[in-house]
Amino acid sequence: MLLKGLALSLVSSMAWCVLFNVPVRTIFAGGVAGMVGFLVSSLLPILNAEVLLSTFVSAAIVSLLSQGMSIYLRVPSTNFSVAGIIPLVPGSLAYRSMLAFVNNNYIEGITLATKTLMVAGAIASGLIFGISVVTIVKGARHAGKRAQ
Amino acid sequence: MARIAEAAGMDDVNSSATPTSIIISFRCKGLDHTRMVRTPMRTINLNKITLVNDVSRRFVGGSITLDQAYFTLCEIDQKKPLYPKWMQHMAAAFASGSFSMLTGGTWYDLAPSALAGLIVNLSLEYLEQFVRMKFFTEFSAALLGGLFALLAVTLFPQLHISIIIIGAMLPLFPGIAITNSLRDLMAGDLVAGVSRGVEAMLTAVSVAVATAIILWFMR
Repeated sequence: MLLKGLALSLVSSMAWCVLFNVPVRTIFAGGVAGMVGFLVSSLLPILNAEVLLSTFVSAAIVSLLSQGMSIYLRVPSTNFSVAGIIPLVPGSLAYRSMLAFVNNNYIEGITLATKTLMVAGAIASGLIFGISVVTIVKGARHAGKRAQ
Repeated sequence: MARIAEAAGMDDVNSSATPTSIIISFRCKGLDHTRMVRTPMRTINLNKITLVNDVSRRFVGGSITLDQAYFTLCEIDQKKPLYPKWMQHMAAAFASGSFSMLTGGTWYDLAPSALAGLIVNLSLEYLEQFVRMKFFTEFSAALLGGLFALLAVTLFPQLHISIIIIGAMLPLFPGIAITNSLRDLMAGDLVAGVSRGVEAMLTAVSVAVATAIILWFMR
């Protein structure tokens, strides 16, 4: 089951890379970023983590990984992080909230819509976390050089 | 951009880029110059960004001259897209199919959702030529994909419409807008970040409304 999910997330992220014209040599790396994101977000609930926490942690890991790969492959990190967050998209939550709204079940709809927004916010803050960690590390290195 | 200009011997460079326009102003030999370019047509091509980034790094590093850099940039601008159109549509189909399996579909849901994703991407491309409004294009593409999902479920009742619709809407997910908006906000470009964020939100809302209409048909 987990292996199937890993393969599917790899294929999905690689296809998403092709959809956005990333350079050929980075397609596989983007797929790996998506696979790692899926792996983390499916392993953390085993350790009793909430969906928000696991989404945040996996988005942060995807972001850090794509920054690292961008330094290694010398391309902008957007190439990887865009594909990496694909398996984390709360598609099913959004769908269920729309279904509840259509069925005149407004309270459940608002609950689910809020949950969707919070998961989206968790993805966003995870990405921000990764970006800021790298920026802080770069800044610290720069400051060290200046002091010499 | 400021780094390129400073490497080319201009001082006091200020540049400002939003998703719809680029403004640069600089001082060269005692005279102030300002130039603004509007970008009416926008596509997403990460390959071009990578190539331009590479040229800029090499120019600032001093390994190529100004003329060489300009020539390379013109070459990049004239370049055809990296992947042919049919390959991108196939990629949309693959992405939709595998994402619908990821959200818990069975093997039978794979083919219909891949087809629905293909229809969404095809209609996105063809409608864009007639309708010059991005959000309406996305809305109608989502509507067509949802109608296909509805048709598939009507013909074969054992398929799950939820899975197919979730998969079909994947090519419209504004992932790149969200990522870029966050990067701009973090870099302090508040105008660019907020405008991209609003773009992502409008796309999400148009897809949600299209889904709601499809579900209302189904009720």
